[in-house]
Amino acid sequence: MKQPADIVIALEGISKSFGKVHANKDICLTIRKGTVKALLGENGAGKSTLMSILAGRLQPDSGSITVDGTPTHFSSAKEAIDVGIGMVYQHFKLVESMTVAENVFLGQEGGRMLKPRAMETRVRELANAYNLDIDPAATVADLSMGEKQRVEILKLLLRKSRILIFDEPTAVLTPQEGDELFKALSFMADQGKSIVFISHKLGEVMRVADEVAILRKGEIIEEKSISEVTSKDDLARMMVGKETFLSVVKNKVEGGELVLDVKGLDGNGLKGISLNLRRGEILGIVGVAGNGQKPLVETICGLQAPEKGEITILGKSWKSFFSRRKNQDTLSYIPEDRIGLATCPSMNLSDNFLLTTRKGFKRGPWLRRKRVESESQNVVDRFSVLPGHISAQARHLSGGNLQKLVLGREFFRNPGLIVAEQPTQGLDIATAKAIWDHLVTARESAGILLVTGDLNEAFSLSDRVAVMFEGEIVDLFEVTDMEKRGRIGLMMAGAA
Amino acid sequence: MFDLTIRKRQESLGWTAVLIYSGAVAMALLFSAGLLFFQGNSPIEGLSLLLEGAFGSSYAIEDCLIKAIPIYLCALGVAIAFKLQIWNIGAEGQFALGAIGATWVAITFPGHSSWVMIPSMMAAAFLCGGLWGVIPAVLKLKANANEIIVTLMLNYIAILILDYLVYGPWKSPDSFGFPMTQEFSSGAIIGKIGETNLNWGLLICLISGLVIYIFFKFTVMGFELKASGENVRAARYARFPYGRLVIISMLLSGAFAGWAGFVEASATLNRLQPTIMVGYGYTAIVVAWLARLNPFYIGISSFLLAGLRVGVENLQLELQVPAAFGEIMEGLILLTILAGTFFINYRFVRRPRP
Amino acid sequence: MTPDILIPLLAATVQSGTPILFATLGAIFCEKSGVLNLGVEGIMAVGALAGFAVSYYTGSVWFGFLAGGLAGMLMGGVHGVVCLGFLGNQVVSGLALTILGVGLANYLGTPLIGLSASGFVPVDLPLLARIPFLGPIFFQQDPLVYVSYGVPVGMWYFFKYTRAGLRLRAAGENPDAALAAGIHSVNYRWLGVLCGGFFMGLGGAYLSLAYTHMWANHLTSGRGWIAVALVIFAFWNPLRAVAGAYLFGGVMAFQFRLQASGTHIPSSFLLMLPYVLTLSVLVFSSWKGGSSATPQALGVNIEPAD
Repeated sequence: MKQPADIVIALEGISKSFGKVHANKDICLTIRKGTVKALLGENGAGKSTLMSILAGRLQPDSGSITVDGTPTHFSSAKEAIDVGIGMVYQHFKLVESMTVAENVFLGQEGGRMLKPRAMETRVRELANAYNLDIDPAATVADLSMGEKQRVEILKLLLRKSRILIFDEPTAVLTPQEGDELFKALSFMADQGKSIVFISHKLGEVMRVADEVAILRKGEIIEEKSISEVTSKDDLARMMVGKETFLSVVKNKVEGGELVLDVKGLDGNGLKGISLNLRRGEILGIVGVAGNGQKPLVETICGLQAPEKGEITILGKSWKSFFSRRKNQDTLSYIPEDRIGLATCPSMNLSDNFLLTTRKGFKRGPWLRRKRVESESQNVVDRFSVLPGHISAQARHLSGGNLQKLVLGREFFRNPGLIVAEQPTQGLDIATAKAIWDHLVTARESAGILLVTGDLNEAFSLSDRVAVMFEGEIVDLFEVTDMEKRGRIGLMMAGAA
Repeated sequence: MFDLTIRKRQESLGWTAVLIYSGAVAMALLFSAGLLFFQGNSPIEGLSLLLEGAFGSSYAIEDCLIKAIPIYLCALGVAIAFKLQIWNIGAEGQFALGAIGATWVAITFPGHSSWVMIPSMMAAAFLCGGLWGVIPAVLKLKANANEIIVTLMLNYIAILILDYLVYGPWKSPDSFGFPMTQEFSSGAIIGKIGETNLNWGLLICLISGLVIYIFFKFTVMGFELKASGENVRAARYARFPYGRLVIISMLLSGAFAGWAGFVEASATLNRLQPTIMVGYGYTAIVVAWLARLNPFYIGISSFLLAGLRVGVENLQLELQVPAAFGEIMEGLILLTILAGTFFINYRFVRRPRP
Repeated sequence: MTPDILIPLLAATVQSGTPILFATLGAIFCEKSGVLNLGVEGIMAVGALAGFAVSYYTGSVWFGFLAGGLAGMLMGGVHGVVCLGFLGNQVVSGLALTILGVGLANYLGTPLIGLSASGFVPVDLPLLARIPFLGPIFFQQDPLVYVSYGVPVGMWYFFKYTRAGLRLRAAGENPDAALAAGIHSVNYRWLGVLCGGFFMGLGGAYLSLAYTHMWANHLTSGRGWIAVALVIFAFWNPLRAVAGAYLFGGVMAFQFRLQASGTHIPSSFLLMLPYVLTLSVLVFSSWKGGSSATPQALGVNIEPAD
């Protein structure tokens, strides 16, 4: 264990809100020289906001940032860069058509004329000094994700950045590339750089970090040295939150026929997924985001074809199910991206209602507008979507109301299979409760695949729970199995 | 101190929008007045002559309506493609092909009654214009070719095909060498409405506008077209047949422009000749954009821009102002409105500087 | 084909390719910065008129040529105000610019129709002009053609070896990445729009000053649009643009000769050749995946950050 080093940056009382949402609340955080600090938290916990503030891209509503003991204010990214703070974003900020050297030198060319040879030599020297393997003359578009990340790191090293922030750096890497990154991080820390490592993956945090801070719902819950952490399970629980007791009344539903049967699904980041789902049942898929939930959902919902394995939906094979439009009335997909995927923002509610639902609204080529309007008004009323009139545009709705509209639309068709992806993410408790009730009711005539990162949600709603880690289903158990529930944190971390 | 930053507007503007657009048009008029002044004319006199020439007499208004007919049909076609975010700049060429198709029917089967002629000419114009519009759609889908350039090149090609026909095989023996076809037989000419100079093409406009309104509002395909234009990702999520929608929208787009060509050849010129190409297809783009692709507003803006053409003719007569003055004003109005839209979509926010 | 037919044909190819080359280079420069400018046709028209008018009134062809470029720059500036200043739709603004530019040229040029002004005449380059075969084709041309030999190389050098070129490309590829590197892309887009407009204007000026030596309405006759298509054919590479421009120059020279020789092919079909060729070239290069060379942020305005 290293001795506590000098504090390079101290954040105090940082708050930032977007409209009514408090992304960061009264955050205090210290970053030390030569230390790897992990910032652990679920999606939407406020990690990215906090780091954007540190990188000067966002300005806090209140609070102070102290660099080397001097209070500082960043009004642009450039000012943060100037004091030595650099960030490697999750989505790389690289110009794909340019070479590695050009990307590294972009913005810090050091003269009006460029000398490609000299630039390449300088990049090669820098890369060698930090054990980063890269070809400076290669075009970025041809590089692997790991190599692109190295280009981002080189950009910061050329700037002599002292504090390097990594936003979910392993999200796009293969395990081997991840290992190389960790080596590079440790090496850079040994050279005196401070590293901030944003992640929601427990395993890697335990491996690489010296200190960990846990962020939940915009607040720092815990900040301690990694040597003081006794179990991963504790970290996991702190990260996802204590179970709050919002009871959902679930009346018993008799298990019906199979609505979904997946056998040996492989490829696209999935490894041998097998699961089945009956009418009247909710199967919760839990896991930290990015462990294969997305490809699983997209494959089941017909947005990408399965590479290997068999999927049977409502008794039909994947191929024959998605070859006929009519079949699709029996499958409902409630995506995580409500505004960009599930709705057309500038169309009104009844048009948005019509987007996926044709049942009974079509007579030959004609739309039965009257019927659409009365039925969509019905749905708006029944699901209490505010504002309560169908002429409102979707983009004017709050996230919760939009979600209720999507839910109402998708349930209206009486589907046999419902896939709900993070259905209550970012919603307030009351709305979340309403959405849970709707899901439980819909279960009476359908099988529901519930993909969520919220354990509380999974336990309250599901009949069975499957845990995903790195594209695999690690375990699948009855929700009543308290012993397994107790170990779920470990399973999500891939440690069970 | 305050920093002025720009934010996207969330709310929609009511009457302020009208104010902003009026301001934009005023700016365009100001520039145009400057050009008149530059040419040595009194701007006030010029602009009033323009207005008077366009809307000052019942004859002038009739003329505006007559010119508005082809503009309206072309713009309606343009709007259908634009709705799907397909940039069809080819109304001019589709217009030419429509005129060619209608003329072929008119001079190949002369002498039939208008009950036979008019519908078959319309069908021919629909097909020719429509298929000319489908070419860029297919090239876009199959080869990923930019539809803007393809439609433009097809415009030049279409006009040259028209030239070839009227200078060559279709040239009338009794035209004294002028490039024109023989005059259509009376059955092939769209009649005038009552005692006015207006032709029944106006009815085609009204019906087409209504049909398009109904198409977008009451048919499944119209709805899918509109929704795909709004959000392509959502269209994929809802599994709309995107390729088919592109083809159909370009077919319709070209077909309406084709009808415009048919009306011009049949009602206005009573024959096919190169002077049929006066740039209605390009004006239509301005019209459709100004009208925000709404069939009703297209009616208004095509009438206004037809008025601009008629007014400029008056200016040409009275002050010897070149005909290109109309194009300048069209371009200016479009540019100022585009710039003005900024104030509709964005607002300025003052942010305290700490 | 005998050399005494081939050489004049190829020399004419270079001459008719030159205005298209200037315009294509202008469009490439503009699009590299991320701004789609469909106003090339209009900008060329204004450049052609300005070139002719200034040459007519001052008697200096070089002033005329420069004036053509500056007028093009001014028109590019209009596009910049609408698209970069007011975040207007680049497609529509470009179309409006074409309508406006062609209109302006025809309007202001009316008094100049039928007049003659001094224009550029061929000048043999010492020594080079005497190289067999190549000399008469490339080095017995007017001075503007010699200028046009330098521009593609200069532009290629600018993109590859200068800081401004690097940043301009970044603005066209990924303004977000540029911003993260502390670069304000809008400034470089302005550079692209203005300089691009300058070269488009030069292309127009070449038409009236060296190609026709007179002013007529619709002098550009679609060359601007051909330039827009050639950008795709050239994969946004200034050096490849030379090949594209001469390909078109060749077709134009060829159809002109053929027409003059009294062929039985109707002239409409001959006139159609460049446009049909543009179409084929565009479809071919798009189909071959030319669009992968498209600047990734082309046509996308830089929205204000929240």
